[in-house]
Amino acid sequence: MTFPNTVAAEIRKTATLPATMVALTVAVLGPVAITLINAVGVRAALRSGRPELTAYTSPVEAVFSAVPIGTVGAVVLGVVAVSGEYTANRANIGGGRQITTTLTATPSRLGVLAGKAIAVGLLVAVAALVAIPASLALAGGIIGGDAPPTPDGVLSRSVGAGIYWMLTALTALAVTVFTRNGIAPIIVLVVNSSLVSVSVLLSHLTPLARFLPDLAGMSMFAGDLLAFDEALAPLTGGVVMATWTAGLLALAGAVFRWRDA
Amino acid sequence: MVRMLSVERLVKRRGSREILTDVTFRAAPGRVTGLLGPNGAGKSSTLRILLGLDRADAGTALVDGQPYRRLRQPLRTVGSMLDGSGAHRSRTARNHLTWMARSNGIPTRRVAEVLDQVGLGAVGGTRVGRFSYGMCQRLGLAAALLGEPRALVLDEPVNGLDPEGIRWIRVLLRGHADAGGTVLLSSHLISEVDQIADDLVVIAHGRVVAAGPIREVTAGYPTLEDAFFALTQPVAGGR
Repeated sequence: MTFPNTVAAEIRKTATLPATMVALTVAVLGPVAITLINAVGVRAALRSGRPELTAYTSPVEAVFSAVPIGTVGAVVLGVVAVSGEYTANRANIGGGRQITTTLTATPSRLGVLAGKAIAVGLLVAVAALVAIPASLALAGGIIGGDAPPTPDGVLSRSVGAGIYWMLTALTALAVTVFTRNGIAPIIVLVVNSSLVSVSVLLSHLTPLARFLPDLAGMSMFAGDLLAFDEALAPLTGGVVMATWTAGLLALAGAVFRWRDA
Repeated sequence: MVRMLSVERLVKRRGSREILTDVTFRAAPGRVTGLLGPNGAGKSSTLRILLGLDRADAGTALVDGQPYRRLRQPLRTVGSMLDGSGAHRSRTARNHLTWMARSNGIPTRRVAEVLDQVGLGAVGGTRVGRFSYGMCQRLGLAAALLGEPRALVLDEPVNGLDPEGIRWIRVLLRGHADAGGTVLLSSHLISEVDQIADDLVVIAHGRVVAAGPIREVTAGYPTLEDAFFALTQPVAGGR
């Protein structure tokens, strides 16, 4: 019965790290802020009678085009849950890293990694449960009566967006196990999820790019926003992304077990 | 219950260099065992293997006949302190000890108890990044004592402590051993080990060069310091 203790300890440890608060704030306020900007733009276009000025006129699309910014929070959360273990204290106060404490308290490497994955997954799920409904309400409120009828599948796309965030956070967690330092994974994954997606660029070269984790996962929520003809069906895309994530976590577990602390 | 720590023919390599060669010793209950050696002799590497942090290339390191990694709630069996506080700098001392307690099913009241015991009761809400060296060492000790373990494994515990702190830890460890507990500590400070240890393991260049009750190890030398330098200096023409 030690695993529940490990999970409880990892949840407490991750949730009380100041960087986690920053990550959760980004994951919630980021999408809400972008939704606000999108929705104001849509309302202006609709009221001026020129809906062709925007890529979409539905409040729902104003929300789902803001989802990638929440991914940034998910990435930060997944990274700091691991990189915090390896942050070295100053040598003049004895140095040392938290990982030694973690692994003397819980020698099971796979137990620690599973506990962290559960903690990160739960925190991201909470962020998604707040951010996405809040964004939908906000966009609906701003665009209001000018909006076209609500399209189908809003719920499944919302769930898909939450799962996309969770899987992205777990990918970030696994990658940081390899690097033991948060800087490189944060830069690469934040740029990839907010500015330029390498997979999206590759999709212009080969349709195989749709099987890359982020592009596959985006099909869970993006709908027509994904300007890509060969996109996977939402469920298939989710399975593909989850498989990538599980593979990376398994590899991270093997490395974590084999490596000296 | 007996809390014997036993290290048997430990070998550890880093790259092509052998940093531990056939390291063998025991730390017995009711005794303070001092692992004494110059910097880089292999003291920390030995303790890290004993605590299941690093893997040995050969040999065994056991707690009551079991590898540390098999212990179910290790903090209740072996309390340990390696470099400094072992806490993330942006946590408070209390927060650090609380997640540790949770991980081993230790009652939360122990957090306040150990903070008081090590003299950090008033600064439990302060971030570890603002602690002095001495305070970090005290937090590390608090973490070691958290699960009321029978065995204590401490790497250079007096580093950074002021004279009052050194005296305090000496009394604490003596009391722990006298109550039947096992204490294994490493140090490069000869005088400290001389004052605190019952048994001695002298290690140099990754090898145990002498082990036994402190009087036996120092027999034939005027002081422990003389014994230490005679034992740890490379013999002329030797390795």
